[in-house]
Amino acid sequence: MATPNCLRCLLVRPSVAARLPAARQMITAAAPFSTTANSRAAGGPQQGKGKKAPKPPVKGKQMNLSAFKKKRDVDKSKPPLPGERKAYRKRILLSNNNALPVPGLQDVNAESMLQTSNSGKVLSLPDAVVDQLRAVEAFKPTQCWGVFRKPSMLVRAETVELMQKMQKAADSQQALRLVVTGDRITGKSMLLLQAMTHAYLNDWVVINVPEAQELTTACTEYAPIPNNPTQYMQQNYVLKMIQAIRKANEKLFSRLTTVHQHPDLPQHVPVSSPLLQLANSAKEADGAWAVFHALWQELTTKGYGRPPILFALDGVAHIMKMSDYRSPAFEQIHSFDLALVRLFADCLGGNVQLPNGGAVLASTSRNNSPRTPSLELALLQREAEQNKTEVPKKDPFFRGYDERVDAVLKSVQVLRLDRVSKAEARAVMEYWAASGVLRATVDEATVSEKWTLGGNGVLGEMERAALLTMRL
Amino acid sequence: MASAANSLRLCLRTSRQASSCLRQPQVRVPLRRALSTTPVRWDNAATEEKDGVEESDYEFNRPYSNPGEFLQDFLRKEGISKADRAQATRMLETWKQVPPETQQEFDKLTRDISQEIAPLRRPVKPRRNSFWNEEEKDPDLITDEVGEDDFEEDDILSMGHGKLEEHREFREYARIAVWEMPLLSKLAKPFEPPTADQPLRFRYTTYMGEFHPADRKVVVEFCPKDLKDLTEAQQLKLKKLAGARYNPEKDLIKMSCERFEHQAQNKRYLGDLVQKMIATAKDPTDMFEDVPLDTRHHTFKAKPKFPVEWRMTEERKKELENLRRQALLLDQAKQKEGTLISGVERVQAALAAPPEPAAREPVMVRAGARQGARQGRAPMRR
Repeated sequence: MATPNCLRCLLVRPSVAARLPAARQMITAAAPFSTTANSRAAGGPQQGKGKKAPKPPVKGKQMNLSAFKKKRDVDKSKPPLPGERKAYRKRILLSNNNALPVPGLQDVNAESMLQTSNSGKVLSLPDAVVDQLRAVEAFKPTQCWGVFRKPSMLVRAETVELMQKMQKAADSQQALRLVVTGDRITGKSMLLLQAMTHAYLNDWVVINVPEAQELTTACTEYAPIPNNPTQYMQQNYVLKMIQAIRKANEKLFSRLTTVHQHPDLPQHVPVSSPLLQLANSAKEADGAWAVFHALWQELTTKGYGRPPILFALDGVAHIMKMSDYRSPAFEQIHSFDLALVRLFADCLGGNVQLPNGGAVLASTSRNNSPRTPSLELALLQREAEQNKTEVPKKDPFFRGYDERVDAVLKSVQVLRLDRVSKAEARAVMEYWAASGVLRATVDEATVSEKWTLGGNGVLGEMERAALLTMRL
Repeated sequence: MASAANSLRLCLRTSRQASSCLRQPQVRVPLRRALSTTPVRWDNAATEEKDGVEESDYEFNRPYSNPGEFLQDFLRKEGISKADRAQATRMLETWKQVPPETQQEFDKLTRDISQEIAPLRRPVKPRRNSFWNEEEKDPDLITDEVGEDDFEEDDILSMGHGKLEEHREFREYARIAVWEMPLLSKLAKPFEPPTADQPLRFRYTTYMGEFHPADRKVVVEFCPKDLKDLTEAQQLKLKKLAGARYNPEKDLIKMSCERFEHQAQNKRYLGDLVQKMIATAKDPTDMFEDVPLDTRHHTFKAKPKFPVEWRMTEERKKELENLRRQALLLDQAKQKEGTLISGVERVQAALAAPPEPAAREPVMVRAGARQGARQGRAPMRR
């Protein structure tokens, strides 16, 4: 097929040859072979004589439209890769070499948060625990760790109270079921972190859900559980969680061994193999839920040296409502129908026991929490019951309550995290000043000032008033 | 309009010749609404509203032109007592003895009155194509605007007369205010607060004799707690019955009525309604225990008040003084001990101190030679 075309190329039509420009022929004569542009080649001899190049002929006044055009600064730099901005926003810095080391700062140990004498003291986290806490994402990017030399925390009266409750529950092989609530930035997530610290120092197993909204806002994959289609597993999240648990509790898991058969795991894990092997068998998202189920079964077996469990969740309001997931029939899925959330809710409600003791802690969030009337009411009711005051009643004409949530929160304890006292505020401010971050003499006047500025001792507000301001 | 009808009625009453039948004392027909500016409408509506109320027996179901017609109609009714029947029969016979011209006169009088009143009852419709309602009479003007520009040089202008008339009127009222009003104080009664057995509080509106659509409105307010003969449960049921008319913040039930033409009727209706509600509340068949008290119609307003504990009393001042003194003592003690921490001093001391021996730079080492390198590794910073 191509042949006739090619043959046609060979035929140079005489009319085309005759129309070749005469100028081109002349230039060719001046410089038979040149790599420079024609104009240069033509102007060469004139420049050599010291004369200026002739100006281009004046065409008269012309409108210069480019004068009105905006000069665009074209940014030649590379845009950040996908996820890079978020990674920067969510990065967690736990140390700052410019801050001064604080002399006399003690590390936390297994008992120190149980002692009332330590209430109102600043203690630092040991490196091993920091690694564990980092693995389970206990640190939040909004917390001011990156300002100081070494991660340290204030042991508050509420901290001691909570740790004593946890220890008591673990000793009596019961589960402490408790919701931490309180105003904005009063340190609710921090209290969870302290509970986790205590748990790690006492060789507990910690399962942490750092942000409950990750489970219910339909941002992670989900699938119905094969033999239980009314519940949904979140494979990717669970895989990440197993890896975090494995990383944080590696020593413990290599010591403990399995006691049950687990036939439906992706890999065969024989009885009396270490738990680490079981946890390691979750390599892919597909079998992750089965592995998690097996791991939970192993950890909640009575005896066999199983440690107490701390199951913590932050931002509890997100799991106390309908999730953003949809069933195959495009109906909304209740958060409690997501298997992991269901497990937590059952533990919190007391339907699932922890035979080796432990604690189920949930914490509310004030920054990012959807309206959950049932939760709000239940917290007020439980608190009133604890304080033996008048219990607020349900609004009989309001439809927004959720019976399943009511059932879960029927018997939880509530710990309201309040403001710090002035003595505690002084301790924490002395730590700031000793780190060289707060450039003021910490006397009662300064403490009073910051304490008042921070809404009568809201710790986060005090940080804002003293640390995060440019007025040093 | 009402005052005009009123005056017309009064005029008619004075100029009317008293008919012979009316002079007879036996013929006492209880004419409640013999003359009214509103159309007669009690054949269905009124009877339905007050079914079973005895008063409906004495009210008219249709207009009658003379007493004989009414009596005949009355006798046709069943369920009237014998005494009534006998009296009515006697009265009817008396009426029949009245001469026919008097009877006709009576009929004519009734007809005349209704004819006179008909235009008053007719609603005034604004004309559609009129400009600014120019045809409408302006009763506020002081002249009648008829032939007022004709000046016959024997009198002042009608405008002037109008002004004088106005002035006379002012003076008359001023006289009344000075001479007669103070006498009213003789009629003043001292205020008596309502007693415990008067739980209903009525509110009326008067427009000083002028016609106003709201002057018939009556409002009643009462607190369910004041009804002493009700138990707690019955009071709660009463509140539930009142529905949106219950104010939970003030614990008051407030009801109003402007359904009827006269204040007294509206008040009577409200009184009856309250009685009916109380009777229903006392009825033990259904105490509405399954229905919660609904307060959705009411918005509770929290009124922020100055906290009592913030009040600067003498004790509080002393307490604060004490706290400040203790704080000062604490600072002094810390200063003496040398434990008062100053951020600036800490930074300056750190800058003045000899630099720490620099940690050795971490060096890349081959995998096999790790043992030796581990001791010299720089402390890891997180």
